[in-house]
Amino acid sequence: MITVIIISIFGLLILLLSIFGYKISARTPEDYMLASRGIGITVMFFFVLFAISSAWTFYGYPGFLYQHGVFYVYFIWGAVVSFACLYMFLGPRLWAIARLNNFLSPIEIVAERYNSRALRIIVSLIMLAFIVPYIGIQPLGVGLGFKALTGISPVFGIVYATVLLIIIVFLGGMRTTAWVNVLLGTIYTVAFLGSLVWVINRVFPGGLREAVNVVESNFPALYVAPGPQGYFRPSIIGGALIVGLMGFAWPHVVMATLTAQDKSVFKWVPLLALVVGGLGFYTIPFLWGGIVAPAISHMEGTLVPPMLGLEADNVVQTIITQYLPGWFAGFVLIGVIAAAVSTAAVQLMTSAIFVSRDLIYGGLGKKMRPEQMVFVTKLAVIGLILLALVVALQYRMALALYLTKIAVPGFAQWATLLIGAILWRRSTRQGALCGILGGTAYLVAGYFYPPIVFHLENPLIPALVLNIILFVVVSLLTPPPDSETIHRFYDEVDEYLEQA
Amino acid sequence: MREIIKHRPGKAYLLVLLLGIIGMLYMVRHFDRKILVFGILPLPFFAGICFLTILAVAHLIYAFKYWPYR
Repeated sequence: MITVIIISIFGLLILLLSIFGYKISARTPEDYMLASRGIGITVMFFFVLFAISSAWTFYGYPGFLYQHGVFYVYFIWGAVVSFACLYMFLGPRLWAIARLNNFLSPIEIVAERYNSRALRIIVSLIMLAFIVPYIGIQPLGVGLGFKALTGISPVFGIVYATVLLIIIVFLGGMRTTAWVNVLLGTIYTVAFLGSLVWVINRVFPGGLREAVNVVESNFPALYVAPGPQGYFRPSIIGGALIVGLMGFAWPHVVMATLTAQDKSVFKWVPLLALVVGGLGFYTIPFLWGGIVAPAISHMEGTLVPPMLGLEADNVVQTIITQYLPGWFAGFVLIGVIAAAVSTAAVQLMTSAIFVSRDLIYGGLGKKMRPEQMVFVTKLAVIGLILLALVVALQYRMALALYLTKIAVPGFAQWATLLIGAILWRRSTRQGALCGILGGTAYLVAGYFYPPIVFHLENPLIPALVLNIILFVVVSLLTPPPDSETIHRFYDEVDEYLEQA
Repeated sequence: MREIIKHRPGKAYLLVLLLGIIGMLYMVRHFDRKILVFGILPLPFFAGICFLTILAVAHLIYAFKYWPYR
């Protein structure tokens, strides 16, 4: 009963925030899609941190550490540095180009830079193909949490999270999504950290050292490569770092750079990402999955025996349910819902913009008045979330594996043309098209026929290498961009960044 | 980025980043032994803590002393 009350209050709070966001919004595409480019340092940091920290951080990541060894933390280190680098190296120019030209999406930036409508359609479709299933995984994660806590069907959790998502994005747009992210992220952190401290106090009076001793004695393979199931060979660990380093290409994170209020955001956010995000927040799931959860599962008289396969995704929630009072487990579930919703809302918002602004308006050339564009984006929100759920239900896999083996390699395929568009004057439309098409085709082929990617666990690296080679070679072999493009995307931006 | 590679502090900042990544990859060869720093921190975790701390210090110095987008 207490869980139902907590969940109802939480839902009402989100609804009120979204209605408030709707009332103060300007009903223009720039306001709905980019919060009128007015997000400051603090909101931006939490907006991005919790856009990244999804239900995966609570289920998939600790579940994978728990099952395969602590080496998966290398993915997190790579990702944290990558997000800092995005804001440090690419962010200022992306922000300036978008401001100078009134662009509303990063795909619009690259399409205009390469002067290619075909590229706009192709990049949009590829990004949507990899991000849509990821959106669907988030409500599924909530459903899992509901089931672990209450025993009721996961359908209830899935429907609840989906409705919340639609309310936030449909009513509020990017501004409300950012604000709600700060609120949800705070709830998530309190629940995640609070449960960790409480469980340690209750189960291990000797603190973390006692928990580590249990793992050392009863499950030592967790701390020695290649891990308990032989998964983490050296190439896999190095690969995890490199996959993490491609985090700067996540479309929903790139999108956020366009919403910055001014260029000081790009000075502070990398520092906050490294210190508060990397050294602070991401330590919590590591301690859960790398020390506390395995120690509990391998100690005498445990209430949570070792869990394997997809079940391992659920280990943290199961431990909380078994060892902490019911009301706190309900609060933690709210934290998980917050994590899932905060990420999926940004992904949904970004995807809907890709559909309306890049596919329909820019790609297919359908003329729209500003209010029509907002309306079409809202329709896309509903269509995309339904599609995401169908895809996620159809093809279930461990959260950690979907993120690192499918989503990130897919997002990485536009990294080359994105960097080229803002940093390399000589890059051309033909190079961009060949790179993304060749890299993506090779990546997808590698999923179905592993020998062509040398049976690598993660086909990102060979696909990215092919992408880069095609991009560079074809760019150098084709005529350079005209002087007007160079002036618009480089010289004007240099001047603007010096003056703004 | 273009502004950062144009001056020496920016190049030094990028060098720290590059060396950090190489260092992280180098550390992998020691993961076949159980090493717990201070008795509680597994080596992959501790390596990352050091990596991020070094980068944070480098960023602090670069961004607040040599920031190119003034």
